[in-house]
Amino acid sequence: MALKIEKSFQVKEPVEKVWSFLSDPRKVALCVPGAQITAQVDDKNYKGAISVKVGPSVTDYKGEVQIVRMDALNYEIEILGKGQDVRGRGSASMKMTGKLRMLEDGGTEVTSISELNVVGILAQMGSRVISEVSNIMFGEFTKNLQTRLSQPDQPSEAATDPAGKPINAGSLAWQAAKGVFRRES
Amino acid sequence: MIAKTSPEIGGMGHSIKRKEDSRFIQGKGNYVDDVHLPGMVYGHMVRSPYAHARLKSINTEKAKQLPGVLAIITGEDLAKANLAWMPTLFFDKQMVLATGKVLFQAQEVAFVVAQDQYIAADAAELVEVEYEELPVLVDPHKATDPSSPILREDREEKSNHIFHWEVGDRDATDKAFQSAPVKASVHAISQRCHPAPLETCGCVADFNRATEKLTIYLTSQAPHAHRTLFSIVGGIPEQNIRVVSPDIGGGFGNKVPIYPGYVCAVVASLTLGLPVKWIETRSENLQSTGFARDYHMTAEIAADQNGKVKALRVKTLADHGAFNAAAQPTKFPAGLFSMCTGSYDFAASFCEVDGVYTNKAPGGIAYRCSFRITEAAYLIERVVDILASQLKIDPAELRRRNFIQPDQFPYKTPLGWTYDSGNYEGALNKALEMVGYAQLRKEQEEKRKKGELMGIGISSFTEAVGAGPAHTFDIAGIKMFDSAEIRVHPTGKAICRMGTKSQGQGHETTYAQIVAQELGIPASDVIVEEGDTDTAPYGLGTYASRSTPTSGAATAMAARKIRAKAKKIAAHLLECSEEDLEWETGKFFVKGAPSKSKTIQEIAFAAYTNIPAGLEAGLEAVNYYDPPNLTFPFGTYICAVDIDKGTGEIKVRRFVAVDDCGNVINPMIVQGQIHGGLTEGLAIAFMQLIDYDENGNVQGGSFMDYLIPTAVETPHWETGSTCTPSPHHPFGAKGVGESPNVGSPAAFVNAVVDALSHLGVKHIDMPITPWKVWNVLKEKGVVS
Repeated sequence: MALKIEKSFQVKEPVEKVWSFLSDPRKVALCVPGAQITAQVDDKNYKGAISVKVGPSVTDYKGEVQIVRMDALNYEIEILGKGQDVRGRGSASMKMTGKLRMLEDGGTEVTSISELNVVGILAQMGSRVISEVSNIMFGEFTKNLQTRLSQPDQPSEAATDPAGKPINAGSLAWQAAKGVFRRES
Repeated sequence: MIAKTSPEIGGMGHSIKRKEDSRFIQGKGNYVDDVHLPGMVYGHMVRSPYAHARLKSINTEKAKQLPGVLAIITGEDLAKANLAWMPTLFFDKQMVLATGKVLFQAQEVAFVVAQDQYIAADAAELVEVEYEELPVLVDPHKATDPSSPILREDREEKSNHIFHWEVGDRDATDKAFQSAPVKASVHAISQRCHPAPLETCGCVADFNRATEKLTIYLTSQAPHAHRTLFSIVGGIPEQNIRVVSPDIGGGFGNKVPIYPGYVCAVVASLTLGLPVKWIETRSENLQSTGFARDYHMTAEIAADQNGKVKALRVKTLADHGAFNAAAQPTKFPAGLFSMCTGSYDFAASFCEVDGVYTNKAPGGIAYRCSFRITEAAYLIERVVDILASQLKIDPAELRRRNFIQPDQFPYKTPLGWTYDSGNYEGALNKALEMVGYAQLRKEQEEKRKKGELMGIGISSFTEAVGAGPAHTFDIAGIKMFDSAEIRVHPTGKAICRMGTKSQGQGHETTYAQIVAQELGIPASDVIVEEGDTDTAPYGLGTYASRSTPTSGAATAMAARKIRAKAKKIAAHLLECSEEDLEWETGKFFVKGAPSKSKTIQEIAFAAYTNIPAGLEAGLEAVNYYDPPNLTFPFGTYICAVDIDKGTGEIKVRRFVAVDDCGNVINPMIVQGQIHGGLTEGLAIAFMQLIDYDENGNVQGGSFMDYLIPTAVETPHWETGSTCTPSPHHPFGAKGVGESPNVGSPAAFVNAVVDALSHLGVKHIDMPITPWKVWNVLKEKGVVS
């Protein structure tokens, strides 16, 4: 199942600071609920894992993250992530294009276009649920990012970060369900 | 006409309440999942998340360590016993458990057996399977593209093309098209849907090591055929296999094939020496067992300016998924799809079908229809409507002009069928009258002026049921006769056993009524038993509306054998010759002396207590009935819909169904069958689709996405009937269970298209959801 998700949000930090954060997959991973970078292969390739739990269904994706394109002049980055569930329940890939824009007030607008492709048990839940799950994850990501940006620099090797744990199962399913019904009612 | 018996006897034509319902409505039915045997263990299937992937490894170590796990079977294990693959019912084979690669999402990969179903499910989660994803083929139109992956590595032919089948006269048809002043055509998809019976599939396999006997409690519409197939495929002597189909909670064709879960449960029971139960979940049922349809059809009609049809040309692409697991007679790769000339008199016709493989669940079975007639009826009734609309002729009138006339029967169609009897105009007229057609059309005209959307759809279908004559029909080589055995007890009560198997059709009542009609034994004194292969005579089972045309006929024939013997006994008791006796329901009497008579009960007692010299004791008979032809029920359905412009919501305001199924055994049961079939037809027309995304993920794999109609969605059904008996059936019946599913989708769709026809809408594919309608309205500028 393919899904295209476009999001944009604003942070008050200047564009350089946001760029230095977003152009480092290890830092970005800290903000993604359930995700972690497990190894760096070279300056463009990383190994990572993400655990997504929707209702009773846990999917533990393990795979690669690749920086396909990085344009520091225009603050654009394209990242490709691919993973397979460790128990063979499916796979997922995501191409994310991120773009930063300097705002007049000195803050930054972050725009991301994510093309998500999910195969397997999770994909059977249908785009309604998957897009809601994505919305929730993105919301968490934005919140985490804002928190981290406002904190003084931390070493990105802090792999024991609480954000590395899977997001709460029950609440994710519940929130997704609420999202589905809210939209359709 | 059939003579009507008294209500006490309850023969044909009486609306007797269904005998089986007293246990069903009390929750006292006995389904496969109600079978509990001492020491029984449970199976759970590990399934593929991928639609197409190479199997790299299966690691069962962690799962085996879970306490309570007894065995884990993989495709490699089955391959050692030559059981990794099994034949389908249509010249193909299917993987029981995957070896090499998987070909559809939810394909069976490993079978876990444990002490209870929860441990089995937990252990299945612990089985680690490593896959390598392969390119996926979802669109059947791309199946033969060179760029598409070849799915079936096991076949010699390196192609996704399964078969090409054609019937009719291509040249004569093409010629008719060249000279025809009017042509109408439609491309219509009969979408992938699923019978979704209330009870999912399952079994309990019980191999007794001491007796070497294997008993399989099975959700089977065809227990005898399944016994034979288990014996042939599994190498188990047939006398050692007993298949028991207990109560079945709906089949609709879904319970005709043999599924991998059954085979795995049998293998597990043979291995462990314990009874093994396997019951599908709802999603497993929707995602892996026999789907129906997925026919991508084009029909063209050649006609003259008056709307008189000349020729029909049909081209169809059939998507069978990963394996051709169609369940249909072996001579018919597209089933009875060549019934597509419908109720109309075509001089020439040509029909061709190509079957292809895709990375989807295997099938397709006949969902409440006689092998693809729903597809055929839908197609012809759509294209006839398009012709009418094109010529601006009222669709009722256009049908009337083209009907096969009553004096043309037996009527040979250009595609090779011989219709037994019919009066199509009679059914149409009755339906038009019941619905108040002229008034509805007037109302539609007025509403259109006001900008309101209202449509009327007609479908005048012809079904072909009761497969079938053995010269033409067989399933996996077994001829499609069917059977009945009647035993009359000394006290005049009786037990009957048949080769068919009710899944809710009401056989326990209707077969008893046939016996009552033929022998005068009250229906309440007759017990009907089906589904146990150790006791019932051999038969091919219940599907394709075949029970009444075959086993029903066999019941009448067996009863007549009993009556012939009863006559001899009566002559002995009345001390007269057989020629002096006359039959009146329930008794023989001496001609001219009606007081000198013997009732069937008295005769039955004598059959065991006062046997005439030279006659065998007892009063019983068996009949294996091979019908000389199919029977051809028909009808006209008329649907009136209102469409909400703001939301695209369709409301079925009226639905009139006039059915002609010949002589009726139980009018109430017929009506119930029609209500049920119309409700399924409604769901197919408006709600149901087993969809796949481009990666082969099932998008209709649960009841969240695959919608089942409830009382809320179901409109009021108005039923009526005409009666044109079958000339060749022993009591003139035709079979009816599937007519409403066959005839109704076209009526619904025709009504919706009619409501939108003034906007230039010619066709909308099923399921016609509010979203689809709303988009059409948007496109046509009706809503912004």
